[in-house]
Amino acid sequence: MGLDLNKEFSITPAAPQEKDGAMGFVMTNLSELVGWGRKYSLHPLLFGLACCAIEQISAGMSRFDIARFGAEVFRASPRQADLLIISGRVSNKMAPVVRRLYDQMLEPKWVIAMGDCASCGGPFSNYAIVQGVDKIIPVDVYVPGCPPRPEALFYAITRLQDKVQKFGIGERKG
Amino acid sequence: MTDLTYDKLKANFPDAVLGKETFRDETTITVDAAQLLKVSKFLRDDPELRFNLLLDVYGVDRRDLGASPRFATSYELYSIPHNRRVRIEAPLADPAENGKKDTLPAIDSVTGVWGTANWLERETYDLMGIEFKGHPWLHRILLPQNWVGHPLRKDYPIGGEPVNFTADRDNPRFAHLGKQIMDTPTFHSELEDMDAEGHLVVNMGPQHPATHGVLRLAVELDGERVISCKPEVGYLHSGFEKTGESKRYEKFIPYCDRLDYVSTMSNNLAYVLAVEKLMDVDVPKHAQYARVILVELQRIASHMVWLGTHAMDVSGTIHALLMYAFYWREQILDIFEMVCGARMTTSYFSVGGLRWALPGAFEDSVRHFLKGFPEVIKDFETMLTDNPVWRTRLEGVGVLTAEQAIDLGVTGPLLRAAGTGFDLRKAQPYSSYDEFDFDIPTATEADSYARYKVRMAELWQSMRIIEQGLAKLGKGPHRTADRKVALPPREEISTSMEALIHHFKLVTEGYKPPVGRLYGIAENPKGILGFGIISDGTANPYRLRVRGPSFVNLQATDLMARQGLLSDIVTVVGSIDIVLGEVDR
Ligand code: SF4
Repeated sequence: MGLDLNKEFSITPAAPQEKDGAMGFVMTNLSELVGWGRKYSLHPLLFGLACCAIEQISAGMSRFDIARFGAEVFRASPRQADLLIISGRVSNKMAPVVRRLYDQMLEPKWVIAMGDCASCGGPFSNYAIVQGVDKIIPVDVYVPGCPPRPEALFYAITRLQDKVQKFGIGERKG
Repeated sequence: MTDLTYDKLKANFPDAVLGKETFRDETTITVDAAQLLKVSKFLRDDPELRFNLLLDVYGVDRRDLGASPRFATSYELYSIPHNRRVRIEAPLADPAENGKKDTLPAIDSVTGVWGTANWLERETYDLMGIEFKGHPWLHRILLPQNWVGHPLRKDYPIGGEPVNFTADRDNPRFAHLGKQIMDTPTFHSELEDMDAEGHLVVNMGPQHPATHGVLRLAVELDGERVISCKPEVGYLHSGFEKTGESKRYEKFIPYCDRLDYVSTMSNNLAYVLAVEKLMDVDVPKHAQYARVILVELQRIASHMVWLGTHAMDVSGTIHALLMYAFYWREQILDIFEMVCGARMTTSYFSVGGLRWALPGAFEDSVRHFLKGFPEVIKDFETMLTDNPVWRTRLEGVGVLTAEQAIDLGVTGPLLRAAGTGFDLRKAQPYSSYDEFDFDIPTATEADSYARYKVRMAELWQSMRIIEQGLAKLGKGPHRTADRKVALPPREEISTSMEALIHHFKLVTEGYKPPVGRLYGIAENPKGILGFGIISDGTANPYRLRVRGPSFVNLQATDLMARQGLLSDIVTVVGSIDIVLGEVDR
């Protein structure tokens, strides 16, 4: 993955601090290390909803190979996953289930809304479909497309990785 | 042909038969609702009629049609022995008109005559609010149990909320976010009647790696033996029918892609065939052959998804096979992408032909695919056919005899694996299938292994069809010239005022078919896909009904899984080959 240690761990000189006993300097750099570790070992939940899920599977297959981004280990249990890819339309009947899956995932956790349906309801502006999954769970990255191509999903994952890198050690999402 | 049906009914039940209508060679016989049960039994059992396959049950709210009484239930029947179809309609008065506000219109259930009616009637009850007297378990099936109202009624709004593209939840302007969501009881009431004898009830899904999507199964176990297995569906219910009724005919084509999203071309074909029949337009031969080629490619792609996921379900060690299968599916998707720009959601067929002409490299790419693919099938067969793990886990598992299958309305490879060579491409050919030379693979064991063999044999047959299609394809117009549905050509628009106006009207208003109704069916990779259309003469369908083969086939899970092992449920579901988008619609 072409790791440039100097770039990834560049130690920016901290602003002069008063000695208040805080571990500012150490924690900042630890946080970068942890962020780096986290972003290249995302564990998506093995969870598919609709048409977009088929493209999600394609993304995991040999041609597109999601492993290049360190996110190939799909976990079947939400307890072992930290990335929820909402790949498809969320119906009213499914909404509580999605919420529960999200709640069952361990902190810190991230959500990608894959496709128009997950982002905003897509073509299904009707009684059955939740008009955007962000009504029930917070979303980090939205991917447009119906369905988005696997490449689009990869772009979303790299954007998410930027976000993960900046995420603090002790912070929580939910 | 169907006159025989009418005459026989009229002779045997003079006061039950209320009328008969014929439109585009399809007959609708109106029957008194009170005598429906008698008539149904007769239709099924009379040796000259033998309507043994109930394709579909659906309700119609005729409020805006000016028909009285307000409701009607329709039954689409097919007689496999006589290769004949008929539609029975039973009008139902709305009790609400007589002041009984909370009473639903009611009719006798036909579950005792055709087993498949069970889920179809539940769906009609759920979405249209028609009660079926004597139904074994009349509960909502697609919507949550605590849902209020019946969405397919004409007085139910289509719904949906305006969407705000923001996630700023602290903003008081978005305090309403989430009000659309209704609670679902976490404990499904269907589980209640299962644990009577101290049996263990296991819940699978809706998030489960082996249920192929958001299917939920409630399995009652005695040790490891399955006592019963109740699928719970509806987690992907997307309101296709209601949405379709609010769109123009042409605009529903992209929605078809999203039904069974691994066989988009086939869905498109079934739908455009139905609308073409309604509009009475002919499709040029070149376009018909191109359709056949693409649909058969789609059949291969769909079977690849089935094979890969099924192999992974049965044994994780055959995981590599999923990769191979998807690799070869990608080759087909490349052809689709070249043809129409999209990998999956193709929307390539339009009413009257193809949306664009085929690209120049089409034939060569298909030939290239045909050259490489036979080796792949042989590889798959070497890996699986005599593989001991594969055989022990599939042979004798999930048996569904032909009789049971037909009773449950099961079609497609499942039915053919039970020894019935019933395939619409032969029985009622469409899109020039009658000009092709191919066989219908069948097997007799009726178990999961037989289904595997049938589907593998279908791959070879599809390749045969594609080869013949390439030979026939030739050159020609890719769309009909019939101005009812076709836009005038570019050159004419700049010279002729009439052409310009016609173009404008077609684009802004859409075409308006005559008043009438029909039910188009086609043989999809998974079974018979049906589109029922009722036209009131406007540019939108008045009623659009979708029969998903996966939905009907899934109903057989209970029967197939009983007395098997818990681990076999996964192979049973896998061998049915379902796609949840089509199950829940
Ligand atoms: S965004 Fe499009 S492809 Fe994805 S689930 Fe929705 S309808 Fe299907």
